[in-house]
Amino acid sequence: MERRIPVAAMWIRKRRWVLMLVPGTVLLVVFFLLPLLTLGRMAFYTYDPIRLYVPALTLENFVKVFSDQYYWSMITNSLTVGFLATLCAVFCAFPVAYYLTTAKGIERTVLTAGFLATLFITLLVTTLGWYIILLPFGVIQRLFEVLGLGSGPLRFIKTIPALVLVLAHAHLPFAVLILASSIQAIGKDKLQAARTLGASPWSIFWRITIPLTMPGIVSSAILVFTLSISAYLIPVLITGQKIPLLPIAIWTYSSEVLNWPFASAIAITLFAVTTVFTYAMILVSDLVTRRGKWKVV
Amino acid sequence: MAARRILRVYTYVLFVVMLAPILIVLPVALTRTNYMTFPPEGITGKWFLEGLRDQILLDALGRSLVLAVATAVFSVALALLASFAVERRAFAGRRALETFFTGPRVIPQIILVLGLLIFFRSLNMGGSFTGLLLAHFVVTFPFAFRTILASVSSVDVILEWSARTLGANWLTVFRRVLIPQIKTALIAAFMFSFIESFNNVTIALFLSRPGARTLPVELFVRLQVGGITPSVPALSFLLAGVAIALFVILDRTIGIYKFLAGSEGSR
Repeated sequence: MERRIPVAAMWIRKRRWVLMLVPGTVLLVVFFLLPLLTLGRMAFYTYDPIRLYVPALTLENFVKVFSDQYYWSMITNSLTVGFLATLCAVFCAFPVAYYLTTAKGIERTVLTAGFLATLFITLLVTTLGWYIILLPFGVIQRLFEVLGLGSGPLRFIKTIPALVLVLAHAHLPFAVLILASSIQAIGKDKLQAARTLGASPWSIFWRITIPLTMPGIVSSAILVFTLSISAYLIPVLITGQKIPLLPIAIWTYSSEVLNWPFASAIAITLFAVTTVFTYAMILVSDLVTRRGKWKVV
Repeated sequence: MAARRILRVYTYVLFVVMLAPILIVLPVALTRTNYMTFPPEGITGKWFLEGLRDQILLDALGRSLVLAVATAVFSVALALLASFAVERRAFAGRRALETFFTGPRVIPQIILVLGLLIFFRSLNMGGSFTGLLLAHFVVTFPFAFRTILASVSSVDVILEWSARTLGANWLTVFRRVLIPQIKTALIAAFMFSFIESFNNVTIALFLSRPGARTLPVELFVRLQVGGITPSVPALSFLLAGVAIALFVILDRTIGIYKFLAGSEGSR
């Protein structure tokens, strides 16, 4: 009996480190996992104009999302904007990332600051800037007038191209960051070997650089896509209610209409769409690049 | 080398496009008119003073700073504890726990914040500062954890053993052996959490009360309501200036690539 206490004390002493995991785990369970579960449950509750919602399970919210032409166009709008912004950002970022890895000294510092510093600036400032540039009677219009390219109020803001431009601009730094580190990681010996064997710069680029950076291209595309399709701030300031998008509907239903069950159903739809297309991107890129076959390189 | 010249020109053109929306707010802020216009009519610095005298904006700025510092302290402290336990101990479900800790990264913020909004209302915590702090903790913790974990795993345990053998107590070991080795990661995690919290709009928009908005939300609401004076672009320009200065300082001290390694997907 007497020996039991020291043994138990030892047992506790040896496992004291578990305490270090407790605060983080508990907070994430309560304020990350539980809210998501609450949201998942809310999507199946019934809306009630007076009590906000009643806990009577129903599929009505999802039926409404998927049976109404309006919400289908919302989903396709979101997908279109997400894809276009991803294409723009990744295509624009690749040459920049490539150039950055070859730049040196002060040029590298300045370019890095220019392309990555927007990560430190609140999205609101850059969006305000775009707003000033794109607005009717804004900078672009003045430029057009000076150059004699046209007059009258510019109808560019509140269109999908404007939205894609601003989204691509906001998420380009992430793409540059991922692509640059992935280009940087290509072994110099491989490029050297190809050159020694007589490959032209062009064929080195297509047959070595691109395949070896494919994982970086895919992960930057997935990231930009996820960020763009779920962006709320930029669409609401650039296109407003004019182009229906899933994140804008989430805000409208949760904070203006106060229909939480429906807002939750839209949120789950957004999550499902994002997940499905993310996995589709991974699958397609695996097929296209015959992943695994060039692992020997 | 014609290809390289094209590449260079292209990069510089895009460089200008990247900075254009940030720089354009300056001339707009300098106008004498009391509405935003481009090109500015006359030059005056009064909107900068006006922006710095706006009590509502200053209150919002103070609130944002307190929130950002609290978030960063909280995230770094808990991430430090958790990363030591995860790195130093082999236990079942270690990988699963690591995935769980980085989980909030993969959930779009707008979905997470809707969950939090509903959850906080049911706890009667809607619009509270604590709620906002916890939400910011949830989104910054994964980055702090990842950054610190990577650094802790490169720490040499032998050094700690030696210090203990030589008679140092655990506090001394922590202060004089461990902290110097992971200092860079701690600073990076702190700055990252601070910036992410200070700049965040989506979460604060859903969770803050009208009377207690953070600075980005206050600016957002003014922008959306419309009819803003050039003091908003003036303040935006100052914010951008501080952010770029911070970027350059961090680049010079700890290297921006190392710093940003954990930041992917923070919006």
